[in-house]
Amino acid sequence: MAADGGSFSLGLPCVFSPKSRQYLALCAQDGRLRIWNTDIKTLNQEYVPSAHLSATCTCISWGPCRKAKEGPQRKKRKSEAGQVENQVDLLALGTAAGSVIIYSTVKGALHCTLDASHSGVVNCVQWHPEDCLLYSGSDDTHIVEWDLQTGKARCKWKADRAPVTSLCVSPDGKLLLSAGHTIKMWDLETKDVYRKFTGHSTAVTTLRFATTRPPDSNGLYFLSGAAHDRLLSVWQVREDGKDKNSVVSFNLTDEPHHIDLFTSNSKEEALRLAVVCKDGQLHLFEHFLNGPCKKPLSPLCTVQMTGVEDSPIPVPLLAAALTTDTHSLLLAYGNHLQPVMERVEVNTAERHVCLTRDVHTTLSLTMETTVSKVKTPVVNAKSKVVVPGLPGHQAPVKGALGSEKRKSTDAKEMSIEERLGKIEMSSEKGVKGAPSLQTDNFAVLLVQGLESKDANILNKVFQTRKDMLIKKTVARVPLPAVLPLVEEITKRMQGHPYTAVLMVRWLKAVLMQHTSYLASLPDLVFQLGVLYHMIESRVKMFHKLTKLHGKLYLLMTQVVTSGNEVKDVDHTAKLVYEEESSDEDNASGDEGLPDEDSDNWEEDETMEDKAEEGMRMESKVTADSDIEPGNESEEE
Amino acid sequence: MVVHAEIRMVHRGGSKINFREPVITHDSRFLLCAAGESVNVYSTSTEEYVHDLQGHTDLVTGVVLNPSNHLQVYSCSADGTVRLWDFTDAILIKTFIIGYPIYSIYVSEKHGGVVFLVVPMANYKSSELFQLVAVHLPHSGDQEVEARELSAVLCDVSHHPGAASFGREGEYIAAVKGLQLEVFFFKKQKSYRFSLKSGMKKGAKNAFTCVSCHPKEDCIATGHEDGKIRMWRNFNQKKEYTYSTLHWHHGAVNTLCFTPEGTNLLSGGIESVLVHWHYTQENQKDFLPRLGAAITHIAVSPDGSLFCTSHSDNKITIIQSCVKVSAVIQGLVKGDGVWTNLIIDPRSKALVLNGKPGHLQFYSLHHDKQLYNLDIVQQEYIHEEGLDQFEVVKAAFDARGDWLATVEERRKKGAELEINLKLWAYDELTQSFVLNTTVTAPHEDRITAMFFSPSPETTMLVTTSLDGHFKAWLLADHSDANEGFWACDFVGGYHLLKPGCCSFSADGSLLSVGFQEVVTVWSPASWELLTTLSQPPGAIRDLCFGRLSCSKYLLGASTKNQLCCWNLLTCSLEWSTPMDVSLLQTDPLSENIAAFCSQSGSSDLFVFKPSEPRPLYSQKALCTGKVQHAVFAPRDQMLESCEERTQWLNRSQLYFLTQHMDLLTFSTKTEEDRLLASSKQLMVDDSVAVTPFYLLLGKHRGQQLEKQEALTNPMAERTQLPQGSIAIKELLHTPAHVLPSASFLCAMFVRSLLISSSSAREEKEHEEGEMEREKEEEDSEGEADPRLGESATWGHPEEFGAPALTKAQERELRKVRTFDHSWLSSLLDC
Repeated sequence: MAADGGSFSLGLPCVFSPKSRQYLALCAQDGRLRIWNTDIKTLNQEYVPSAHLSATCTCISWGPCRKAKEGPQRKKRKSEAGQVENQVDLLALGTAAGSVIIYSTVKGALHCTLDASHSGVVNCVQWHPEDCLLYSGSDDTHIVEWDLQTGKARCKWKADRAPVTSLCVSPDGKLLLSAGHTIKMWDLETKDVYRKFTGHSTAVTTLRFATTRPPDSNGLYFLSGAAHDRLLSVWQVREDGKDKNSVVSFNLTDEPHHIDLFTSNSKEEALRLAVVCKDGQLHLFEHFLNGPCKKPLSPLCTVQMTGVEDSPIPVPLLAAALTTDTHSLLLAYGNHLQPVMERVEVNTAERHVCLTRDVHTTLSLTMETTVSKVKTPVVNAKSKVVVPGLPGHQAPVKGALGSEKRKSTDAKEMSIEERLGKIEMSSEKGVKGAPSLQTDNFAVLLVQGLESKDANILNKVFQTRKDMLIKKTVARVPLPAVLPLVEEITKRMQGHPYTAVLMVRWLKAVLMQHTSYLASLPDLVFQLGVLYHMIESRVKMFHKLTKLHGKLYLLMTQVVTSGNEVKDVDHTAKLVYEEESSDEDNASGDEGLPDEDSDNWEEDETMEDKAEEGMRMESKVTADSDIEPGNESEEE
Repeated sequence: MVVHAEIRMVHRGGSKINFREPVITHDSRFLLCAAGESVNVYSTSTEEYVHDLQGHTDLVTGVVLNPSNHLQVYSCSADGTVRLWDFTDAILIKTFIIGYPIYSIYVSEKHGGVVFLVVPMANYKSSELFQLVAVHLPHSGDQEVEARELSAVLCDVSHHPGAASFGREGEYIAAVKGLQLEVFFFKKQKSYRFSLKSGMKKGAKNAFTCVSCHPKEDCIATGHEDGKIRMWRNFNQKKEYTYSTLHWHHGAVNTLCFTPEGTNLLSGGIESVLVHWHYTQENQKDFLPRLGAAITHIAVSPDGSLFCTSHSDNKITIIQSCVKVSAVIQGLVKGDGVWTNLIIDPRSKALVLNGKPGHLQFYSLHHDKQLYNLDIVQQEYIHEEGLDQFEVVKAAFDARGDWLATVEERRKKGAELEINLKLWAYDELTQSFVLNTTVTAPHEDRITAMFFSPSPETTMLVTTSLDGHFKAWLLADHSDANEGFWACDFVGGYHLLKPGCCSFSADGSLLSVGFQEVVTVWSPASWELLTTLSQPPGAIRDLCFGRLSCSKYLLGASTKNQLCCWNLLTCSLEWSTPMDVSLLQTDPLSENIAAFCSQSGSSDLFVFKPSEPRPLYSQKALCTGKVQHAVFAPRDQMLESCEERTQWLNRSQLYFLTQHMDLLTFSTKTEEDRLLASSKQLMVDDSVAVTPFYLLLGKHRGQQLEKQEALTNPMAERTQLPQGSIAIKELLHTPAHVLPSASFLCAMFVRSLLISSSSAREEKEHEEGEMEREKEEEDSEGEADPRLGESATWGHPEEFGAPALTKAQERELRKVRTFDHSWLSSLLDC
């Protein structure tokens, strides 16, 4: 029985604002009222009731949307400020001390307090949908009707023997449901009991009207949920008044904490229901209300949420709101002090949906943006940077254009292969003929490294700067290893410029030695395309760089000569010697360029130089292979 | 101009709220600012819009508090009226018709019933000469009063509202213009002029920008273009005036303001730093940096506890006691331009466009409120003129809102262009965008268009650039090495022509790219050039595919007054009309296409279906200037309008941005009716207790009043009081040497105080007994005497004043008595 009165747990009050669901009002454990903006997902305002620790807030209810003040049909001008969707403003809070607080969210201040009528805890507040009336039900077993225009109680009556735990005003504003010992339906005009419903054994925590039809049409339904009860009951208000038991019940996993529903306006329209249970699960129901149904209905879809930790901890859902779009939901989850709000698309075809959310990082993000209103998207090391020259910046060369031509030259290609075979033979002979210990060592190492993809060996080999050595090593690389070598070089050239400088020598050597082999490959364009793009993009700035270099050089020499003139003219012999040292000094002093930088210029230049050479050669190769494959033999 | 009864054009997206100096009310609860043709009232604590004062028919150019009534404000407007308002309830009290456009308004406590206005000189209507006039506001009961008695105070003043200020107790007014400071003394009816040298030789710009007078002392602070602040003293004579210079700002000083007590001077400029000078120690100053944008106005609340600064990005910042930014009222950010189009974020349904420099702003169309700025560039913005900094120039969302692509660009004159293409993935785990791929220099020249493919299977982005290529970017799938990142898939071009626009068909199976005069149609699946369409002369300006039943049509608008429609099945021209279309916009939810045409300085709108020859809706002279950006925003709830003219607005709403950066939209009658029907006025009494002390005293007072009203014999109530006062009197009036010891007296004294409560307890007990009886009665009545309360309020008016009391009144009375206020009342009585 509902005798246990004050001891039942309603949970912490948590309500979405009506219509657009712009705000979530939440009273947390610390007794403060916080209003969160669901659009930006930030804290909108915080209100501390004057006696928030003793008279804690027990229930919250949003007032109906405020209307923009409109005079008697003003003449509408051409471009007048448009009527924005009505703003919500007032919030009624019931407290444990028996008073009702009306808080204005627009002003961010207390609007008025309604007190001295209840002697017990206010369990429920409900606004009248049309008039300026507010209903509150309390532990003192009374219901009070407040007239908000005067701020005084208009009417107070005893509703039950047990505390009034829940109230609900019908959408048309004519009926009031109250729950105490039994559920009673009151006619608000006469304040008479219209119907009584019995069935719940524990305190009824939730009452909601499910339809908007008039009471005498057999079509008025409402639902109720009670503490420690895993069923949500639907009651029918029947014409003949023979309504004894609930007609339908919905199965839940725990007692309901937050209910949102879309009332059905006609028989063809289903009732949509979202219930958040005490265990943090959300159940979605859809049901056509039409007479009794024996079996308890199971949810259409159940939504759960977990964290991202290694052992997933369930994240409790606090509230859920339905939207006009059947697939999307507005959820609030996390803890009451810092809830996270989110609009999610839920696939209702699946019976069980589990969402994974990183609550901790999300929480830390929400607090920052409250004042500045700037959100910073996450930029981490995982993101990829594509610069000109790297694969992905330009379309991969697919050789689609050349494919037809290649087909036509199929016959000739055979001959090239034969020729290459001969070259291979001869080169192998050459290797055998004069084995130089060191170079042979390098070539073997290189091949090994390429085969095993061992970075250490490759690094060792590629560190060489001696041109002769490189040339010889490349010459000794067996033909099957050439392509992997080119690929390796390409990969390394995409990296740091310093390695690229080294790689240019190798590439040059490879291209000089093995052009004929490379030209014979059928997918040459694809193989060397990346290299080609990279070289092209790197050389693009070469012209400007040389110009800059030239200008700088001119400037530096001017600085040096002018400095010397000031110094002394006599010591002609020493000038030559000092020139170099002062050159460097001046350079670093005047231009702020560190010495290393000037070195880099040189290196860069050589690199670019080489790269350009490479490109030229390479483009020649492409041209050869594509257009005039016959030329090659002549070259040889 | 045709104004249709059903479809109306309405303003959205807030007007300029930084146009004039905001006003903080006396109780610091509200902030008033001029916003377009109305005055908006905001709450200073919640930054929420409370209501607006509507009535002016032109731009509001000034708002000031009425010095004689702190619950009223004057507002002046370019429509030639000054209006007096009650701002708490948004009631227009009076309208004073001046007859000239007003540019600013000044009031002073000393000059009651007089307002000082800046109006154009009567003789030179066309020229830019203004005068400061004093207007005596006539006392009259009428709503509208003509006030044509203008008496000129100063001639040739600046129309800038910061260029004049009242001095100490309204004795003089100081005005600046160009290089001259003019001070007019009301008592002497004499003005002094002080001028500065132009000082151009050292690069210093001495011109005055603003002026503020010290409220308590004879001191005038003036701001200058070179960032100096001069403090003028001893200016009541021509010769021996002095000034000292304060210099911190490196740009022009935009605004100056003294705090009400004159202890501090606040100044702000382009550096977006609020500088807080101490008046007595001029070398000492405090700063509040990083306010986001150049400061244009500063206002201080009358009690000096709140400052507010207006900023150039349409923002008002409320600062608490100079150290903490407590609230930011942000309108639609109106930067230098909108380079990104108007886009709708599919996830939050917010409007997305350029916001703060380097940011994208998300603007809620439903609540007409800015949601947040998304920092795209992530580089510190340097508040200085003449710097080239990165700007977001293009943005696009994919169909589901999982990807956001942005292009940022640094436009430097005569130097290499820097472009970055960034692709952001929406991460559901963290509920935020995460940078996925950055492509530096995706093109060699400016990017002209960027779109995601609408097809659900592939995530593809197409960019077209002036370098003569268009590139398709694809999210690499599992087969690729760089899985999950974006890479270029295709580079296309057409005869080295420069592509200007591109468009995907609704299903993503076709891509059309406009290369100057030629429209090329490609298949994104194989990157084959399917066909080319051309209708010279005139380059293609905008392209779009038809939707749904009209998907076989491709529409193109060319620069040479042509709107063409091609049939893609036959690859031939279906129809073409001579129209100078500046913008084509398709409704994603219907076949409708909106075309904005610019004609003779104003824009026309046509809404049509490609398959039908007659437009669904047309509106001539929509607004002046070209419409550059427009978007169809899908509605939450479909409207069910059957009228032919308004049907096109059923599924989505058309928003567009004019040249003056006003966001406008169309609303239908049915929609407004729905809004009106769904809402009703809530009248809630807001008699709120302000302080705990008021709560205590006020309650007591109220109860005393009640008592006096209700009781015919108030003496019955006060019986216990004289006893207490007698004891006190005795104690106070007997000479000290006759008094017994204090310990003896104390007990007696305390007992004397306790008497009242003991008598009350007796009554209480009595009452409790009665209550129980009542309860029993109630129960026996069947738990219903709901009218009891009503009878309490209405109870027997004919008997009022008679000794007989109603039951309810009696009970009320007893309750009052049980409450122990005796200690307080005894104090009060003493």
